[in-house]
Amino acid sequence: MFLAAFTSTGPREVSPDATLLSRLLQKDVNAFEQLYDRHSRLVYGLVLRILQQASTSEEVVQDVFLQLWRNAEQYDSSRGPFVPWLCTMARNRALDQLRLKSERQRRREDQPDELPPVVVAPDYEKALDEKRRAERVRSLMASLTPQQKKAIELAYFEGLSHSEIAAALQEPLGTVKSWIRNGLLRLKKGLQATT
Amino acid sequence: MEAYALGALDPEERAALETHLATGCPNCAKAVEEARWLVSQLAYAAPEAAPSDMLKGRLMQTVRAEAQSHSEAKPHVMPARSIIPFWLWAAVAALFVFSLYSTWNMRRLQDEIRQSNDRAAALLQQRQKAEQQLAAAKREAMILMDPSSVKVSLAGQNAEGPHLEAICHSQLGIVVMGENIPMPSPHHVFQLWFIPKAPGAKPMPSMMTWPDANGKFVMLVSNPPESMEATKALAITEELEGGSPWPTATPRWSGGLN
Repeated sequence: MFLAAFTSTGPREVSPDATLLSRLLQKDVNAFEQLYDRHSRLVYGLVLRILQQASTSEEVVQDVFLQLWRNAEQYDSSRGPFVPWLCTMARNRALDQLRLKSERQRRREDQPDELPPVVVAPDYEKALDEKRRAERVRSLMASLTPQQKKAIELAYFEGLSHSEIAAALQEPLGTVKSWIRNGLLRLKKGLQATT
Repeated sequence: MEAYALGALDPEERAALETHLATGCPNCAKAVEEARWLVSQLAYAAPEAAPSDMLKGRLMQTVRAEAQSHSEAKPHVMPARSIIPFWLWAAVAALFVFSLYSTWNMRRLQDEIRQSNDRAAALLQQRQKAEQQLAAAKREAMILMDPSSVKVSLAGQNAEGPHLEAICHSQLGIVVMGENIPMPSPHHVFQLWFIPKAPGAKPMPSMMTWPDANGKFVMLVSNPPESMEATKALAITEELEGGSPWPTATPRWSGGLN
């Protein structure tokens, strides 16, 4: 499988995040501040993209980082990288906030305060720094067809389902599924090729 | 799996996949992990933006106050003698106890509010799920009971193998059912197709699902094509997860509409 080809067999370097998180368990305020400085722009950018409103986005970001401060022990750094986990938590919170505001009736498995599952990463995960990773993902997204990009963005940033996207774009359901599947496949191959 | 990690599956597809994942299929569990990582990378597609300095100020103020409460809660040794008068110690102690109580009370209230919100959200989700399941069950029952429903037998490739049966209703939808249905190959699903009567017309893709652990297969299509009269047959193929916009394999089951 895709992931298996990148599973690490050698010793892993301890990331700065892992060191800071271990200090966070001791309620080290400086470690928290460094984690905030390292990742708040990414988290805020993601939440702002979803909610489109600065004040509400700051409330969600505050909530996410306070959750991290108060429940750092619930993140297991040995099982996966920190940033995808943090972003998943931020996205879930932001989408919950979005649904609360629009009173959209839609089933969802994530609980408002539930921590996200650990995200297991391929080995090349550590090979890219945050800046290069962002450039790579944006470049790959720009290489998708406009329909693929739009469908994936509606799903990821607005939390819409296949049917909701098909209704919003007035396209057949099967076509929307195909756009999302092929777009993500292309994104995966692009990230795989980055190594 | 990517659509599942993205949260884009519709309730029926999501429920079918989660039922399958609950069986402990190791291949699919690993595929979900891969998909979650891939989807998490989409966060980098958002334009980076800097939150206000006030946010950091508020956060650090809260965090420092909580860290102080945490450290003050630890027992420490007091000097045996002090030049500070007793009344001043008493005042400081009273102030300290009051501030501790205020902090504790504030956090307790915050926790209570959060827990109440959690409970309300969980109940709402449970209710929505139950309503969706009930609605699906009602619709299935109506389709099965309605005298205007048409029964279609879907014969398998292997004449001795299990057969499927489709009950079609022009307004309510279609229920496809079967027993002792084998699982599709790893990373594959069963996908339903509507075969048009018009010569050369492409088959229309529909729902995807898996049989449950006991081989029971139930698929409810609540939004069939508007004009079933233009459909001459139903077919089910085995496709890669996520489905396909066109059939890529010979039908495992098929049957004509009269």
